[in-house]
Amino acid sequence: MKLFVQRSDVGEFRRRYHLMVLAILVAFAILTARLADLQIVEAPTHRAQARRNIVGRVTLATTRGVIRDTQGRVLAANRPSYDIYVVPDVIDMKETWPRAVQLMGLDAAEAKTYKERILDIRARDGKRKLQQTLLKVDVSRDVVAALETHAAELPGIDVVPTPVRYYPYGQVGAHLLGYMREIDAEGLARYDAENYRAGDRMGAVGVERRWESYLRGQRGWQKVVRGQNRRAQRTGLGEQYLEEPRRLEPIPGRDISLTIDVELEKAILRELRGQLAGAVVVVDVRTGRLLAAVSKPGFDPNVLSGEQGKEAIRDAFRRLSRDPLKPLLDKTTSAVYPPGSTYKPFSALAALADGLIDPGVEIDCRGGYEFGRRFFRCTGVHRKVNLRSAIVQSCNTYFYALGEMIHIDQLAKVGMDFGFGAKTGIGINPEARGRMPTRAWYARRYKGDGFRGGFTLLAAIGQGATTVTVLQLALAYAALANDGTLYQPQVVRSIETSAGTTVQEFPPRVRSIIESDPTQLALLRSALRGVVAEPKGTAYNDSIADVGLAGKTGTAQVSHVTPRGVDPKRVWYFNRDHAWFAGYAPASAPEIAIVVLIEHGGGGGKNAAPVAMKVVDAWQKLSKRRLTARVGEPARGEPARNAGASL
Amino acid sequence: MVFARTARAREQFDWPLFLAVVCIAIIGVVNLYSATSPYIDDPRRSGLADMYVQQVYWLVIGGLFGTLAAVIDYRTIERFAYVLYGIGIATLVLVLVLGPDVRGSARWINVGPLAFQPSEFMKLFIVIATARKLADDPRTEPRTLLEMLPAAMLFALPAVLVMAQPDFGTSMIYTSCALSMLALARVRRSSLALGLAGLIPTAWGMWHFGLRDYQKSRILSFLNPEADRTGTGWHALQSRTAIGNGGLWGEGFREGTQNQFGFLPDQFSDFPFSVFAEDWGFVGCIALLALYAFVCAWAINIASLAKDRFGAAVAVGIGATFFWHTVFNVGMTIGVLPVVGITLPLFSYGGSSTLTTLVGFGLLMNVSLRR
Repeated sequence: MKLFVQRSDVGEFRRRYHLMVLAILVAFAILTARLADLQIVEAPTHRAQARRNIVGRVTLATTRGVIRDTQGRVLAANRPSYDIYVVPDVIDMKETWPRAVQLMGLDAAEAKTYKERILDIRARDGKRKLQQTLLKVDVSRDVVAALETHAAELPGIDVVPTPVRYYPYGQVGAHLLGYMREIDAEGLARYDAENYRAGDRMGAVGVERRWESYLRGQRGWQKVVRGQNRRAQRTGLGEQYLEEPRRLEPIPGRDISLTIDVELEKAILRELRGQLAGAVVVVDVRTGRLLAAVSKPGFDPNVLSGEQGKEAIRDAFRRLSRDPLKPLLDKTTSAVYPPGSTYKPFSALAALADGLIDPGVEIDCRGGYEFGRRFFRCTGVHRKVNLRSAIVQSCNTYFYALGEMIHIDQLAKVGMDFGFGAKTGIGINPEARGRMPTRAWYARRYKGDGFRGGFTLLAAIGQGATTVTVLQLALAYAALANDGTLYQPQVVRSIETSAGTTVQEFPPRVRSIIESDPTQLALLRSALRGVVAEPKGTAYNDSIADVGLAGKTGTAQVSHVTPRGVDPKRVWYFNRDHAWFAGYAPASAPEIAIVVLIEHGGGGGKNAAPVAMKVVDAWQKLSKRRLTARVGEPARGEPARNAGASL
Repeated sequence: MVFARTARAREQFDWPLFLAVVCIAIIGVVNLYSATSPYIDDPRRSGLADMYVQQVYWLVIGGLFGTLAAVIDYRTIERFAYVLYGIGIATLVLVLVLGPDVRGSARWINVGPLAFQPSEFMKLFIVIATARKLADDPRTEPRTLLEMLPAAMLFALPAVLVMAQPDFGTSMIYTSCALSMLALARVRRSSLALGLAGLIPTAWGMWHFGLRDYQKSRILSFLNPEADRTGTGWHALQSRTAIGNGGLWGEGFREGTQNQFGFLPDQFSDFPFSVFAEDWGFVGCIALLALYAFVCAWAINIASLAKDRFGAAVAVGIGATFFWHTVFNVGMTIGVLPVVGITLPLFSYGGSSTLTTLVGFGLLMNVSLRR
């Protein structure tokens, strides 16, 4: 058989050709069927997925509201911080680095530190060397300009603008304004609904925190066509797939105008220069608005808000939290102190209301008061004193006698009428209540029957278990000055849109009208004026003639305990008395109430009263200047739009 | 004499084959332009946007070599079949000796500025050698499997060599093409059954000893593409999305968003068909597949008209190479086959592949001219 077969015989192959063509047709038919499936049957699904792939949302940033003082001066605003980042693995340390050092204007030591940091990251493994590493925060505009101009020669170096909160007055009013901090995991979980994201900043304390929801504003978004690399490569293509609405405009945060006068705050800080720690509050007697609230020592909110980078924040907090003078504490509202003699007018009112004392009746002060087996000391030997002269000369003996007559609950009741022992409702920063001790309180404190008459004697002179906040005292003195209206303190005067339209104004809010006899109040006011104006008055020595100040000095004893972490050589300081002055001005027609507390400042008449005097003086000068300014041009820093309204 | 020969050539010039191939090549270049056009505005990769121009150069060079392959009498080629095959094997061994490149596989040989892929040209050598073997061994009776073994060895050796690169796709192409050619020979039914039964242990052995992990994961992700949307299954998924997005009429030339916005991976090498399908839709795909199917069927037609066994076998071999490339590539883009790196002839960018394809069509033309 094989013999007949030729090499050229193609017969063997013939029977296969039809099968092969059939196989080809079947194969292509299968491909076509699947294509029909994908492009016709499943097309809507794939088309939807394709659109999801290319359509994305970009966030449109908003700007945080500006905080201004009562004169329209900017207290908190936003500015870009130009931060320099470096990608360690990209930067050429031989060519690029020296050039960058020169352009950034680094000195040799700084350059060396940075170089070591870069080389250190480079030496290690991991992703970090391919990521941007922060090198230097907030470089000057000149440096930014230089780096941008030479950007092409500086691969691996990037300048990134980041918005930071900016407080032009630095430490001035820092406790009140607050600062910003990065939101933490807990906050993220809590504020998820309000659209916070990791890395966002929010107000940490003060007005920044309390009014966060107003200041913050709302992010917007825009739908965009974007590629796999998150960038659109061909403009116009695919835009028909963007569904309406395509854009939500961001809403800038609301601006907030405070009742605070920053110039007055500055004046107060100036007068406190010689003091280590203390607090001053100035409120408007007729409205309860805060004109100034100073707590010393303070902090720089710019640093805490991240102006100098995260390391600076950590360092600052470490330093501030260790400081025994407690710079982070708002001493106007968050801390309590024994009021000492500044409380005497309220003790007097309590006794007068109960008809326990006759203002004209005199008591003989021989330097103290015998009660039970104890001798309660006075500040001196005042001899014959009535209510008025006892207040003028700050005679304790008179008030010990008063304390023996009065029920402690009556003292507490009148105190509470004036707002002591309860939060004032200022709304910013954690507020302390202070304490108005009652029989019930002592019963709880000493587990049953532990009350002694001596407690009432101490309470009558503002010592013992009685504690107040500086703000409470200022509002109570304001009530004394305005015939008994207790206001809720206000920090925020109005809220405006970023365009300047007022959204909301806050009229004064009366907390309560204190029931009191006008003649009794008049008597007390006359006594308080005497403290400053009469030669025997405890604040007479340093009084300034033109300043019509009235008020009461106080020297509050502190319990002799050594605060933790204090150098033993400095313990004497922490055992010194607190110096107080609480009052109002002008005495004839009160406009402001002022409380000065110098922590461990010693005698109130010698140390606190002069400060109060100078602050009131400063306030009067500021008011006068403002009056002349209003006749002429708008005050400096005041936006023109407010000028017309204030005329 | 010379005159008479040219006259005969003109008379028998295979216009349908020529026109179909030229059509596909032109569409391929245009599609390559669309595929790489996203890079035009990308300063870092604008070089890639000129890829279609280079493809034109390769087509011109390939055309010259193809003409050469058509003009030389294929019986001369038949004489040197085993020599060519030997050279091919030697280059494949050389690739393995030179070692792997940065991507972990050894596929290229660099000659000066040019890099070529010996495994591509090997396809032609296998076709020629197998055709020679079939031509040398004519039978009238059905063969046993044992008698087929020498012919089978011709593709098995290079298949193992490229498998070691590792290049699973090319190895599959060798096997499919050679088996298609061997299908020309009549085999005893009992032997055929035995051979099919033998496939099962072979597949088992391949899975456990022959395939690399990444190849296995490709196959697994093909069987269950939803299991790994971001990893191995991602390519396949993106491809299907792009094709489906094309719909019936397509998004239009350079309007396919998935490709234009960079969602389609390897769009100029492995997935140019997806670009075409997104731009031109189902209607365009039908037309294109019709062209491909026509070329395959026409190759069988040329084989049936061939005047000797070698010519017929070569025609079937070239047709099969073209066919399997098309089926595997399109199959993987539409999700009926696993993703293996097999190019779409005249659509995928690549010098060696274009050259091989056009030289192959030169051989086909050669057979067609001398029927």
